[in-house]
Amino acid sequence: MTILGTALGLVFYLLQVVSGESGYAENGDFDDAELDDYSFSCYSQLEVNGSQHLLTCAFDDPDVNSTNLEFEICGALLDVNCLSFNKLQEMYFIKTKKFLLIGDSEICVKLERKSMTCRKMNIVKIVKPEAPFDVRVIYREAANDFVVTFNTSHLRKKYVKELMHEVAYRQEKKENNWMHVNLSSTKLMLLQRNLQPDAMYEIKVRSIPDTNYFEGFWSEWSPSFHFRTPETSIRGQMDPVALTISILSFFSVALVVILACVLWKKRIKPMVWPSLPDHKKTLEQLCKKPKKNLNVSFNPESFLDCQIHKVDGIQARDEAEGFLQDPLPSQPEESEKRRLREGMQGPNWPSEHPVFTPKTFIGESPFRCLAGNISVCDAPVLPSSRSPDCREGGKNGPLVHQDLLLGPGTTNSTLPSPFPFQSGILTLNPAAQGQPTLTSLGSSQEEAYVTMSSFYQNQ
Amino acid sequence: MFHVSFRYIFGIPPLILVLLPVASSDCDIGGKDGRVYQNVLMISIDDLDSMIDFDSNCLNNESNFFKKHSCGDNKEASFLYRAARKLKQFPKMNNSEDFNFHLSRVSQGTLQLLNCSSKEENKSVKEQKKLNDLCFLKILLQKIKTCWNKILRGAKEH
Repeated sequence: MTILGTALGLVFYLLQVVSGESGYAENGDFDDAELDDYSFSCYSQLEVNGSQHLLTCAFDDPDVNSTNLEFEICGALLDVNCLSFNKLQEMYFIKTKKFLLIGDSEICVKLERKSMTCRKMNIVKIVKPEAPFDVRVIYREAANDFVVTFNTSHLRKKYVKELMHEVAYRQEKKENNWMHVNLSSTKLMLLQRNLQPDAMYEIKVRSIPDTNYFEGFWSEWSPSFHFRTPETSIRGQMDPVALTISILSFFSVALVVILACVLWKKRIKPMVWPSLPDHKKTLEQLCKKPKKNLNVSFNPESFLDCQIHKVDGIQARDEAEGFLQDPLPSQPEESEKRRLREGMQGPNWPSEHPVFTPKTFIGESPFRCLAGNISVCDAPVLPSSRSPDCREGGKNGPLVHQDLLLGPGTTNSTLPSPFPFQSGILTLNPAAQGQPTLTSLGSSQEEAYVTMSSFYQNQ
Repeated sequence: MFHVSFRYIFGIPPLILVLLPVASSDCDIGGKDGRVYQNVLMISIDDLDSMIDFDSNCLNNESNFFKKHSCGDNKEASFLYRAARKLKQFPKMNNSEDFNFHLSRVSQGTLQLLNCSSKEENKSVKEQKKLNDLCFLKILLQKIKTCWNKILRGAKEH
């Protein structure tokens, strides 16, 4: 019994093992290890030869014995139900125009007309574009960049026209350090500053469908193109001529700026913004200052009145010369001067008016001014504005000598010898007609009377 | 009992039920997003159009087919179905393989997108008639193209 049971067990065990190896499975899912070897993958290439399309399939396991295996596609075909693949070494392919390009197809692996494995595929979803070609790189010195161009046969196709391209480049020394750039056009610009100078680079391109209908896989890489980047010893090295010109220009500008700062006040500003001359100051500069302690001012407040006296006649010249030889009288007392001044002020001056002449001033005592007689007094400078009026008058009218250039304290000094003495001593006529026009003296005794005529005379 | 309202209750609904099949389409169309038409069918239609020599008298030839069938509202799918069936009846040209394949692609592709009832199919079967008129073909292709554009325009608006 025991032996019988063991034998039966062995038989059942062997049956199970044998049935498993034979590939039989009830569920029909073909999940047997042997069926897994028939897994395959396919890709399509549309319009690869004119309007002919290409469908290529291959087993995933290269060790599969494909001696008696065949591939067949059914569905989504024009005017036919199924088409068989052709075999080329380990690859199965079909070249036809009969793809409908709409809907799914079924691709099966057949062993002696028996379907081993099938897969549902859509031809438009497994498109593998053709590899790009004619990759070129041109260096543009003016733009400091590299223009990468390439060609693809899909530009002339009707179905798969829009592709996404991938450009990969690397420096040849550095292995597996690829840089990738995606683009939809067939032209790419690489900036020189992103590449190493004087280095050898390798560049290649591949494509993938980029439409909303056609999908698939990356194409094969294009043939690589090698190019060398130019030498640039110093980044941004300038042309020597341009460098020299720029340096000279810089120094010139700096020199101009320094000179402008230094000479601004003295030379440049007066030329650019000349100051308007002041007529008063100019006039003062033109005229010489007659003597020290002589205040010259155009201030109307400092103008002194011109003393005008009525005179009857002029005494002889000889007497005047005699006065000149005598020493100058001493400085009169201030009280008497004041009184003389007070006496001379006011419009209603008495008829007897003292007349100041250079001659009488030299020879006589100033005390005589108080009496109204002709005397030489210490007279301040008369203002020039009154000079025309002072000069007027004849024998009967008031007459005042204007040629007085005496300052305070000049009484103690001797007058210069070439003092022009041409006029005689005037006498006052008490009965002189007309009202004297006598104006008041300035406030300061020390102020000299200066008139415009004195200016001209001194010049 | 015999109020006038009974006429509306019992009269109109049956009328609607009778008329509804006439107004409705027997076909349902797929690919309204336009991807199939723009990437496959339109290319074949344009190639066929370029292959057919243009005749000035073509446009004046108004076939009975077009008098009977048009791409009316809610009838676009039916028209395309009938047009596709008509294309299928067209004989193959011996000297142009590409012409035949494009013709087959348009007809077969259109039919694959349409899902029509058996009633519509029966109608089409009755109209089987061999045609060898390139002028008719040219006009038919233009009508198909116009109808597709109308369908896609309507799909965009919705």
